[in-house]
Amino acid sequence: MGLLSVEALGGLLTGFGVILTPENLYLCFLGSLIGTLVGVLPGVGPLAALALLLPITFTLSPVGGMVMLASIFYGAMYGGSTTSILLNIPGEAASVVTCIDGHQMAKQGRAGAALGIAAIGSFVAGTLGVIVMTFFAPAIAAVAIRFGPPENFALMVLGVVCTLFMITGSPVKGVLMMALGFLTAAIGIDVVNGRERFTFGSVNLSAGIELLAVVIGLFGLTEVLSNVEKVVKSTVVTDRIRGLWPSLADWRASWRPMLRGSGLGFVLGLVPGGGPVTASFMSYALEKRISAHPERFGKGAVEGVAGPESANNAAVAGSIIPVLSLGIPGNPVTALLLGALVIQGIQPGPLFITQRPDLFWGIVASMYVGNVFLLLLNLPLVGLWAQLLRVPYRVLFPVVLLLSMVGTYSANKNVFDLWVMLGFGIAGYVLHKLEYDLAPFVIAFVLAPLLEQSLRQSLAMSPDGAMIFVQRPGTALMLVASAVLVALMFRRKQKKSGGDL
Amino acid sequence: MIERTLNLFWILLGAAAAAYAWTLGIVGPSGPESGLFPFISALIILGAGVVLLLQRSGDAAVPDFPRGAALGRVLGVVAGLAFMAVSIPYLGFAVSGFITMIILLRAVEKSGWLFSIALAVASVAVVVGLFGHVLGMTLPRGPWGF
Repeated sequence: MGLLSVEALGGLLTGFGVILTPENLYLCFLGSLIGTLVGVLPGVGPLAALALLLPITFTLSPVGGMVMLASIFYGAMYGGSTTSILLNIPGEAASVVTCIDGHQMAKQGRAGAALGIAAIGSFVAGTLGVIVMTFFAPAIAAVAIRFGPPENFALMVLGVVCTLFMITGSPVKGVLMMALGFLTAAIGIDVVNGRERFTFGSVNLSAGIELLAVVIGLFGLTEVLSNVEKVVKSTVVTDRIRGLWPSLADWRASWRPMLRGSGLGFVLGLVPGGGPVTASFMSYALEKRISAHPERFGKGAVEGVAGPESANNAAVAGSIIPVLSLGIPGNPVTALLLGALVIQGIQPGPLFITQRPDLFWGIVASMYVGNVFLLLLNLPLVGLWAQLLRVPYRVLFPVVLLLSMVGTYSANKNVFDLWVMLGFGIAGYVLHKLEYDLAPFVIAFVLAPLLEQSLRQSLAMSPDGAMIFVQRPGTALMLVASAVLVALMFRRKQKKSGGDL
Repeated sequence: MIERTLNLFWILLGAAAAAYAWTLGIVGPSGPESGLFPFISALIILGAGVVLLLQRSGDAAVPDFPRGAALGRVLGVVAGLAFMAVSIPYLGFAVSGFITMIILLRAVEKSGWLFSIALAVASVAVVVGLFGHVLGMTLPRGPWGF
């Protein structure tokens, strides 16, 4: 462990060497800026923004591209609180819970304190999360490096099952979406033997379904279609925001929730299916439960801002660990980050840290730097972000759609992808209305090639067929854990619906 | 009704995909074949579709689909994007993007002509400038060379 710590510190120094160049610092700043903007503006989530901006990273170095994408992800967590506190409209999903007490504080004339605590809590949690990540990710990779195809298969199954376990809707619909993701990913040429699958003679389908078209359609277009249903009148913040530095009483009330939120968020970020949204809700529930005065919650309790805002930022660091050290994404945003690396010809996994130390440690170091940028962007410039809320959605959405079209087209320079994007957008909109969770689809779609490869390699190397998954203790343990989670998932659903699935 | 129809669709999709995957081969002399993974996925879709179809009707989601003007706005967006996908090969990105923006702003958002044209020109110019020139991406051009 001591050796690992020394290695981690050495790696971190390498990372700072990589990130502290004008180009990478600029990209980190740009990502932080875009992330904050995305977080502030309601109707544009971090996933849609990442998908739209992914094509830009094709022209950048892998380090620069990944640094920018990662900073958009955690930048959105910072920016989301601004809209929640000032307008009672969450800028993105992980800031929904901040509306409750954050907006109450704003109504009591304490918007500055709420925004300050949110920014400082985000900074504290983001930095603590990256510190733990610095030492934790290499340790996980050191264990996973011994994994063979059966273990990799079982680990990915466990990851997908964890995602299903965490979804709030129907588990059957979640399982169906996951299988649909696997099936969609199978379209194209089988890389093992060059055989075409589900292409029906179409040249466009033989290259497979483009990840960008899927993500932009399912998350970007679906979000726009859901938003344009209603005419949203833009609310303008006219009051000057004062007192951004919290009072001593605010500090006293907030430091413990910040630390608890950081710990809880980090752990929930690690779990596939967890991530920032779950972390913020769990943190709010925890703070309310352990508070000596739970009746203050909902009426402007600063703990209700400090805990969730810390939790969602720590969850970002937590959720990046499984992607970089195991190659397993836990939510759609990290699935897209994984996809971005694969597009660049890089396969994250246990060997990633040793094969591409510049990239891994560059990303880690950029998160330290990015958190500082974000604190500076979100505290002194909060008034500027508030003014951006003047941009009405009717101006925003046509531009988002135009970017969606360019983003989708740019992947393969193929108009067919535009139809795929449109098809997935309409399908996503209808499925969303019917309470289908779209996250398992994207995670399964991204994981499918690796999962299939591991399954086929495992069966090919086994003289006893599928028994190989039982004969190896690590594999058996992970598959049993998956089976237990599936059983618990359906049991929970049965309890909810009074006996029926 | 929509949910029931969709569940039936899942069953048909799962069955068709499983049947097709079977023709690709499941397990051969050299190990697993191309059809194994999609076959398993298709069976899961089929099974989940059956379970959803057999659910009590009270458990089915009651979708809140838009009606009237709201439906018109959603269809307007879809129509605008469909127009763009159809017209890009013939008109190029800049012109089809401009017309799409006008459709979205005029038909969906009921914006004024002047505002719509100004925003459409500005947005298309920024996107073409950023992607086409700064990032060096080849955007489809129309017969006018842009």
